[in-house]
Amino acid sequence: MPISAEHVGRRYPAAPPYVVSHAKIAEFAEAVRDDNPAYFGDDPIAPPTFAAVIAAQAWGALFGDEELGLALNRTMHTDQNFTFHRPLRPGDAVVAELSIEKVRNRGNLEMVTVLVDLLVDGESVCEARSTLMHTRPEEAGDE
Amino acid sequence: MSEYAVGTELPELRVRVTRSAVVRYSGASTDFNEIHFSDRHAQAIGLPGVVAHGMWTMGAGLKIVTDWIGDPAKVASYFVRFTRPVVVPDTDEGVEVVYTAKITEVNDGIVKLGITATCGDDAVLGAARAEVRVD
Repeated sequence: MPISAEHVGRRYPAAPPYVVSHAKIAEFAEAVRDDNPAYFGDDPIAPPTFAAVIAAQAWGALFGDEELGLALNRTMHTDQNFTFHRPLRPGDAVVAELSIEKVRNRGNLEMVTVLVDLLVDGESVCEARSTLMHTRPEEAGDE
Repeated sequence: MSEYAVGTELPELRVRVTRSAVVRYSGASTDFNEIHFSDRHAQAIGLPGVVAHGMWTMGAGLKIVTDWIGDPAKVASYFVRFTRPVVVPDTDEGVEVVYTAKITEVNDGIVKLGITATCGDDAVLGAARAEVRVD
């Protein structure tokens, strides 16, 4: 049975903490072609959307939940919202908690909204809310 | 407060993206979805070919705001809708994404900005907006 509104509210245990590093911050800033000095040097902060790297790793729980029948390579990201409380810095051990907020089924399309709360030392540093559109393969359809 | 006026347009930002840049973002972000390097997988879900990560388009675009405000730690929120994919041809030139931003609201130490992103004739982000703290 594919993902449905029944799964709204499902929460997944946090993966082990993601530890932010200087190297990963610099690599990410280069990948988004942003040379802001705040991202480099001895005391950098991470570019705000670096939070998505950690949030997307938390999505692993979603794709790993066989009951939902979701495949990463059949998924498109349709919208993304971030609320930032403070920037991420090297050494932050970030715990990502994922929950399913909303599910809509339309034919062989599934629109899934997930919330990932990023916490450092128990305090929320960022909320990342994403809507994902999954195209279910026809042969696995329930028609 | 008067230094932030509704309607002010920020300097335009142009960012070029090639297949190589897409692969770089895959590595930096650890998002190894095959649609970002395999035409075959991209076409299997109805795309013309390899597309940039939506998160790349979003992340690269925030530079228009952070170049203007200076300190990226002042960004309080950022929302985008991924309306059209950025299709990246297998050429040396790739494609260019053009961003614009304008102040839409100034209130209580928060400046709200509306952002657009286009690639060719396509609006690739929709309803994009960011909030920055200015007090």
